[in-house]
Amino acid sequence: MRHLNSNSLIGVVVVAAVVGGILSASVSRMAGQATRPDRIDGRPNLSGIWQVNNEANWDLEAHAARPAMITQPGVYPYAYTRLPAPPVVALGAVGAVPGSLGVVQGDGQIPYTPEALARKQENVENWVDRDPEIRCYVPGIPRAMYMPYPYEITQSTNQIHMAFAFSSTARTIHMDDGVAKPPDYTYMGHSVGRWEGDTLVVDVTNFNVTGWFDRAGNHHSEALHLEERFTLVTPNVINYEVTLEDPNTFTRPWRIAMPLYRRVESNMQLLEFRCQEFAEEFMYGHLRKEPLVSHWESATMEIDITRKIPEGDAFYDWYSR
Amino acid sequence: MRTRTIGFMGGAIMLAVAASLFTITQTGVAGQTATGAQADSSIRTPWGEPDLQGIWTDEFDAPFERPERFGDRAFMTAEEQAGLDEQRAGLLSRDRRVERGTELDVAGAYNAVFLSFKRTSRRTSLIVDPPNGRIPELTPEAQARAAEDREFRLALLRSTDTCKNGSVACRGGEYNPEPSPRRAEPAPRYNTGRMNRHDNPEDGSGGDRCLSGQIAEFGTAFGGSFRRIVQTAGGVSMYYDVGQGQGFQRNIVMNGSPHLPDSIRQWWGDSRGHWEGDTLVIDVTNFSPKRDFRGSRENLHLVERWTRTGSESLEYEVTIDDPTVWVQPWTVKQEFRKQSDQENRIYYEPRCYDGNYGFPSLLLAARLAEQMYAEGKGPHPATNDNATDFVGVEDNPLR
Repeated sequence: MRHLNSNSLIGVVVVAAVVGGILSASVSRMAGQATRPDRIDGRPNLSGIWQVNNEANWDLEAHAARPAMITQPGVYPYAYTRLPAPPVVALGAVGAVPGSLGVVQGDGQIPYTPEALARKQENVENWVDRDPEIRCYVPGIPRAMYMPYPYEITQSTNQIHMAFAFSSTARTIHMDDGVAKPPDYTYMGHSVGRWEGDTLVVDVTNFNVTGWFDRAGNHHSEALHLEERFTLVTPNVINYEVTLEDPNTFTRPWRIAMPLYRRVESNMQLLEFRCQEFAEEFMYGHLRKEPLVSHWESATMEIDITRKIPEGDAFYDWYSR
Repeated sequence: MRTRTIGFMGGAIMLAVAASLFTITQTGVAGQTATGAQADSSIRTPWGEPDLQGIWTDEFDAPFERPERFGDRAFMTAEEQAGLDEQRAGLLSRDRRVERGTELDVAGAYNAVFLSFKRTSRRTSLIVDPPNGRIPELTPEAQARAAEDREFRLALLRSTDTCKNGSVACRGGEYNPEPSPRRAEPAPRYNTGRMNRHDNPEDGSGGDRCLSGQIAEFGTAFGGSFRRIVQTAGGVSMYYDVGQGQGFQRNIVMNGSPHLPDSIRQWWGDSRGHWEGDTLVIDVTNFSPKRDFRGSRENLHLVERWTRTGSESLEYEVTIDDPTVWVQPWTVKQEFRKQSDQENRIYYEPRCYDGNYGFPSLLLAARLAEQMYAEGKGPHPATNDNATDFVGVEDNPLR
């Protein structure tokens, strides 16, 4: 993410500001899209459909490509010779993890406390059982912002609404301070926004403890506090930066940054991704009268799929008494 | 085993989201004319479009279909309204207990605490057209489908106490201690309702699977329904809070383009909107065959009209059409009241699914009942009723 460090970002913003000034009187009309003014109530108009084009949802930190999200020892004793583990081995190259320079700013590492780092390592080993994405749970913020699914921003004056294809979730950013917080901890948090010049700054609190940042087991507690910054650097690119604070999990605040890209296709619209239905077999398949998947077969291999019961799951604990 | 099964069922039904059982009949309209809405043109966004924004709900309860005693009268008198309010205030509803230890009593564990009773509307039905306030007659093919579906569900229920005791849940069927061979058949259509079988997740109702929450949306007894509308220039987004965390979003396509290709089918359809004067008109098609609105599936066609009628009011009118199901289109109207943005009483997280312990409990209880029966320790699983759950709903005078 060297190209997005703060110095060059300032450059981009300056250039964008100049270009933006030239364009400010105009109205952008994509073929097939409704008229979208450049500004709403005097502020940059972030409305439209957006999506990242990066590897953040696999792993926020810098990482080389690896064979799978969950691996097992190979014939050599080295970490770099591990092989895909049974639950994903049938996916072959499709199950592999693309490499990335990461989106964590500074030294590229998340500053975990020792206990939280141990928890992250455990999460990696138990990815299939613990990653909320696999179960189609509500993805949380910031993860929903960089999952490989589009989302639609609807910018009004006192509210900015974001609707996410994944799991049909949404968040509303309240531009009026003093809007009542939800009475409970939430996946998506409570978002209060303000404008600092042309940058939308959003303060997010009220998180629950179940959220993950990515498929690599990076996690947080309910003390998570985010400050997001959205800056439109060209009509079709937002620079998205988040400062993350959580004294239960991290030794200091840290920051991620990435561009969000407008989906410029003329016929772009948000389609449903109601994955609850898709995860049902994973969640409940073992409770069928006649399970559909006891083992998978092909010409060359037979794979037993083991679905471990999540540790501490109250429901299963109750029934195993 | 008997007690054990009931215990499992209790857990299941207590926790399963039963919203779908109560959908549609409970919300209402305050009392407006049955003619076209009068827009308040002064309420506009800074970019000049009619302003529909806010959190909106129907603050009154009206019957969905008009009870026959009202005939062609669209509105009741103030006396009738007061009488109904008094009658409803005295209802035990789901706090009513039936015989202790019976399956039906346990099924009432989802008691009245979970329900919301609003003041009675002056309107005698949400349906404003046809003029009798009733859903039009089903087409012969739709009647045949409904009968086939009912027959299948009754077959699954026939060996239970529910049928033995002549409960209304067994209406049209009869008790037969011999379990039906149809227990091994797939449902005649993709199942969306409660059935007395839990061999597979697909045997669960949409509500139990946390796959309910659909348009057309007329609320449930579990807290009614709320929708937040946020607009931008040329864009409208809605989020529905309905049915205990089965909320969903709609992003209305406003660019004048045609509907999605026929091959793309969605749970909430494909919403394409335009302004007609000060009214937002949304045409909704491309529904999935996996959802069911009163028998209508992939051929459902909605035309919605949203009109801001005042600073605190929004009129919603929807014409519902499916020539494969009803002999004519029909229209429902609701008047929504604006709710406080500051109080922010809308719940965004479709958490029904994330916290759904009830549904795997239903499946697991069914597996355990089979195991106990196989070991000679329990009754035939077909004699258990894990589907019926309507304690106290039958005496609601608005039904």
